[in-house]
Amino acid sequence: MIRMSEPILEIVNLRKYFPIMGGVLLRQVSAIHAVDGVSFDIKHGETLGLVGESGCGKTTLSRVVLRLIEPTSGTVRYMGRDLFELSEKEMRKLRLEMAMIFQDPYASLNPRMTLADIVGEPLTIHGLARGEERKKRIIEVVKKVGLAPFHMYRYPHEFSGGEKQRIGIARTLTSNPKLLVADEPVSSLDVSVRAQILNLLKDLQEEFRFTYLYISHDLSTVKHMCDRVAVMYVGKVVELAPVKDLYINPLHPYTEALISAIPVPGRRAGENRIILKGAVPTPIDPPPGCRFNPRCPYSEPICAKEDPKFIEVRKGHFVACHLRK
Amino acid sequence: MSESLLRVNDLKTYFFTAEGVVKAVDNVNIEIKKEEVLGLVGESGCGKSTVALSVMRLVRDPGKIVGGEIWFNGEDLLKKGEGEMRKIRGAEISIIFQNPMSSLNPVFTVGSQIAEAIKLHQNVEKDKIKGKVAEILGKVGIPDPPKRMEDYPHEYSGGMAQRAMIAMALSCNPKLLIADEPTTNLDVTIQAQILELMKDLRKDFGASILLIGHDLGVISELSDKIAVMYAGKVVEYSDLTGIFQKPMHPYTQALLESIPRLDVETDRLRIIPGRVPRLINPPSGCRFHSRCEHTMKVCTEKEPLLTEVGQDHMVACHLHTSDSKSSNRRR
Repeated sequence: MIRMSEPILEIVNLRKYFPIMGGVLLRQVSAIHAVDGVSFDIKHGETLGLVGESGCGKTTLSRVVLRLIEPTSGTVRYMGRDLFELSEKEMRKLRLEMAMIFQDPYASLNPRMTLADIVGEPLTIHGLARGEERKKRIIEVVKKVGLAPFHMYRYPHEFSGGEKQRIGIARTLTSNPKLLVADEPVSSLDVSVRAQILNLLKDLQEEFRFTYLYISHDLSTVKHMCDRVAVMYVGKVVELAPVKDLYINPLHPYTEALISAIPVPGRRAGENRIILKGAVPTPIDPPPGCRFNPRCPYSEPICAKEDPKFIEVRKGHFVACHLRK
Repeated sequence: MSESLLRVNDLKTYFFTAEGVVKAVDNVNIEIKKEEVLGLVGESGCGKSTVALSVMRLVRDPGKIVGGEIWFNGEDLLKKGEGEMRKIRGAEISIIFQNPMSSLNPVFTVGSQIAEAIKLHQNVEKDKIKGKVAEILGKVGIPDPPKRMEDYPHEYSGGMAQRAMIAMALSCNPKLLIADEPTTNLDVTIQAQILELMKDLRKDFGASILLIGHDLGVISELSDKIAVMYAGKVVEYSDLTGIFQKPMHPYTQALLESIPRLDVETDRLRIIPGRVPRLINPPSGCRFHSRCEHTMKVCTEKEPLLTEVGQDHMVACHLHTSDSKSSNRRR
């Protein structure tokens, strides 16, 4: 039996730099520090939210975690096994247990394949089922996500955005995964459709005991979906806490600003809204010390010199900030 | 304050496509008073952007304004010739779009693009134009304007490009600013900056704003009045309290309950069954009837009209109109 409190995924000091080539000889002149020393665990059956603004490295992190791209350094252990030491073949087998739901259902479905082809493809690739059994399994999955069997031979363009996202989810279900990485699964959908998909993701988690890594920039949705939340800023995780803790008592100045910046329906922001100066720095040449220090309202001299350590200041509440020692 | 600046009466904008006539905007009435901000909300395809383009008279083929009146400052814009409209666009009514990067021309400097608007609409001496451009860029919070105005759009970040667009839109002191999803592509912290900027500018410039968007949070930040659109029609109109505390239309109610909110704990979100109808063949009667939980017989037969239900609160729903209440009891 798997114990719920044990991690399904352990990320240790993970880095991913993308080289920038330049000069006459096209040598590496610099690098994009997309993910720069990230460590955290995901427990069995939980939903871990990963939030941050565009370019903070959250999508790169999700790709490295599934080993869709190779890391520069660091370790990712899935149920105790180091992913980067596995051979292609072993990795392929493991991919049955990990799946990804993409942001844009319009771009992530092959327009020349029918719903049945798309959903059944994992069964063929992994040799899981054939013939009648395959068909049975496809119908089962299609029904699970709220589509009807008569939709089976339709092509993606015949579906609405919400239905396309259901297909994207159905495709991940066929192989009985344990860990699902959802990268902005509802951000391209309309408000009323968004609710349908979010509820579906919650229902499926309840039924199949999925573990989710839920990536988004929308803090309202993350609060609704997640048990714990990690906040990323320019390649680093700056805060990690249980969802309630994080929203009620954010410890990192960036998290605080991020939460106060969300417009709440029916209300106007008062004087206490924190408006950050400037924009997110580029990950090519991140600021020295704490990466948030140029925009931080509480910045002190030490912040520009030393990189703050990611420490547990309360039970389960981690933060990387010099002011919170 | 109470004087009306823009009044749209029974506006109909249809798109004549090969598949049929898409009634994108169908009998829409809105009003914006001087110095007021009207928020126009709705899901994609509800016709909110088409309303904006109709006011600017920028609806392109196969779209056509087929009926109604657009009264702006005492004149019907639909009776104006193209030449007259050109004088109004940019000078009296200006618009900012969702994607600032694609609205700026990549081969000209930001400064020269703002200067163009000033040259076209204002009598400013040649040698003073640059100073004016720098002044306005400073007002929207661009650091070091004399230097940054010589930059090309790609040298700006998304937030800065949107600031430049706002500068351009305000450069001729328009009476009406139309902002079509002005912060949709921006990050949360940058969005907060732009909203704050728009709040400040509103005080300085005294322009009325038509703010279009799908995010009820963003709309709440700026709007005095809010109009909710569904499938080409305005279904509810009220102020902030009316829409959020006492929503009357079932669509508004469902919409509010279907969004995850920071200030409310919910385990499951409300789902609006079905999907937004296609506007080639919209449902008879009330366009929301097939997705509504209060549907009555009259809803499928007769179109509900916007009716006053309280001070500054109008709703288009048979549940709240007197004639249907007497003949059709609520279930």
